[in-house]
Amino acid sequence: MNRLHPLSAVMMGIGRGISGLFFAFVIATVLAAVFEVVSGLVALLVPAGFFVGFAYGVAYYYRFSYELTPDTFDIASGVISRRDREIPFRRVQNVDVKQGVLYRLFGLAVVNVESAGGGSTEAVLNFVSEGEARRLQREIRRRTTESKSRRTTNGTDVTAARGVDEGDAETDDLEEPPEDAEADLELDEGGGHGADERDYRPTRLFSLESKELLLYSFASFRIAAAAGVIFLALFALEPILEFLVAVSQPLGGPETLEAGTPRSYVILTAVSIAHGIVLAYLLSAGFTFVSYYGFRLGRIEEDLVYERGLLQNYSGSIPIEKVQSVTVTDNPLQRLIGYAGMWVETAGYGPDSGGGSQSAVPLARKGRVYAFTERFTGLEKPAFERPTTVARRRYLARYSIVATVVVAVAFGVSLVTALESWYFAALAYLLVPPAAHLRWVNLGYYVGENHLVVRRGFWNRRTTVIPYYRIQTVNTRRSIFQRRLGLASLVVDTASSRSFSAPTPTIYDVDLEVAREVHGECREHLQAALAERSVSPIYDRSAEPDAPEHDSDLPG
Amino acid sequence: MESLNPRIRLLWVAQAGIFAVVLGVVLAGVDRQFYSLPTAVLVGVVGLIFLLGAVYAVRLYAKWRFELQDDALYLERGVITFVETAVPFVRVQHVDTQFGPIERALGLSSVVIYTAGSRNADVRVPGLTPERARKLQDTLRDLAVESEADDAV
Repeated sequence: MNRLHPLSAVMMGIGRGISGLFFAFVIATVLAAVFEVVSGLVALLVPAGFFVGFAYGVAYYYRFSYELTPDTFDIASGVISRRDREIPFRRVQNVDVKQGVLYRLFGLAVVNVESAGGGSTEAVLNFVSEGEARRLQREIRRRTTESKSRRTTNGTDVTAARGVDEGDAETDDLEEPPEDAEADLELDEGGGHGADERDYRPTRLFSLESKELLLYSFASFRIAAAAGVIFLALFALEPILEFLVAVSQPLGGPETLEAGTPRSYVILTAVSIAHGIVLAYLLSAGFTFVSYYGFRLGRIEEDLVYERGLLQNYSGSIPIEKVQSVTVTDNPLQRLIGYAGMWVETAGYGPDSGGGSQSAVPLARKGRVYAFTERFTGLEKPAFERPTTVARRRYLARYSIVATVVVAVAFGVSLVTALESWYFAALAYLLVPPAAHLRWVNLGYYVGENHLVVRRGFWNRRTTVIPYYRIQTVNTRRSIFQRRLGLASLVVDTASSRSFSAPTPTIYDVDLEVAREVHGECREHLQAALAERSVSPIYDRSAEPDAPEHDSDLPG
Repeated sequence: MESLNPRIRLLWVAQAGIFAVVLGVVLAGVDRQFYSLPTAVLVGVVGLIFLLGAVYAVRLYAKWRFELQDDALYLERGVITFVETAVPFVRVQHVDTQFGPIERALGLSSVVIYTAGSRNADVRVPGLTPERARKLQDTLRDLAVESEADDAV
């Protein structure tokens, strides 16, 4: 039985105490207003609220315990209602350790253990000491491997991600020769460490160099940064408005916020939007820089381990066996400079992306990323196929409708406001053909030997590699428009958590026969892969010198 | 390929009716409180919605098909977007039979199949007689157990 770090009792006590205080304050205020009791009640109730909250927080600390058993990670918690939770190691998706600035100062860390079920992180240890966090991460990893190997010898499980094993010998190709002095991880391996320690040193697969970090910061854009700008704008509305008026004045903006012509307001709006975009971009770059500073990806036995962060430090491990699919992402800017990133998707919930998507390579040269992806998944070089030009015609029609709506809205606005040159909105039609072409040209799919590869998207192009044995369901979808053109979209679902930014892999707008064919192939390949996987342990055992005589004991 | 029980049309038409009535009440509220609408428009809108719903129900019934194939449960459905789904038996996590009050009154039942997937994580086969639903549930459970694989998540 283990407890959290003693300091967490203090933190929890203060935290709960403050919520108790607020609760009591609200109750007391309401009571005082309704029943007109003496105001002394507030003075009495509020400290009592704090005290009760504090006591609850401390009690929670004493009633919270966790334990590592040979097969499960157990957590018992709850003051009034108790909850005992057991997470089998075999079901653990990933283990993350998070350290904020203050936490690092005091040597503390938050540990999250994810399994596939539920809508949130299954086990949160908030917080333990740094050393304990590292021990937990290591122990969970070790015991997961152990319980897996126990099963494998029972003949019920099979080797994980075959492709990974094949590529094993050369996986560190992605790693460029270490030039800098701090290229430590595997170099000082031979040093004075015990054999036990050495087992848990990662083989480094990738580390983000300063140049790549800077490129990644400036060549990626986070939508969340826009929300940050809006928040900032709400926070300090007055000075920001003054500043914007002052800046736009030389360009023909209004003298003051109240006195202006429609024309000057348009200019003010344009200036504001430009400022907003620049600010959001800088915020996004700063955030990316801080959170991916010092990114390292490594491998310990059957786990991927990563570490990153300047102020807030994240580290985590993902069992390779739990990886559902791998996605290579790039945006137009990254494509221009020939870079791309790679993500691995699991069924758990990742620390920052919401879904179970983890950055494995934030950004590196395209060639290296693709080569690494191919080795990691065991994929042969994909030869992408593209939907026919009928699909492009469909996008042409679709975007024309959008442009028409834009023009109609502009016209509508011109009716109720002083806007005159509404017909300039017709310029939107100029964007239609390139937009349709770019969408079409960035679509692709490849039906491989063991994997299906799906590529789509222009702004954030995603190339997803799905092993057939990870497929959950296959759907062929045809809307009324698609039926008219004889097209269909194929949705291939895996168990990776859905998130808003990463919708289910879909092969868009291929001919119906093609969609049906790929649909059928996915199903066949899944069955074949499953059959192969269920047979292989027997095969493996008979390959061992002393195995053959046991063969007859094995159930068919 | 198996179709649904024809009585399912009654259920869907009834649902369209309920929706139309709710819409009618909302519109009547708007009419009273905010903006007065001609009665003809009100009745017309409600009637049209109901009619569309009824046509949709009939079309949906005509399109719905399902089949137990060698490796997967195969479903076809959809009026506006036509969807063909294959749920491999290995991927079935668990199977429910369910029925709501109207379904119960009509003597119908649904089978819901859960997978670990993120999309269509639950696949519903509505409009089955309780016996058929029970049988389908049993078959799916047996097939799922038979083809169990442990590598999903």
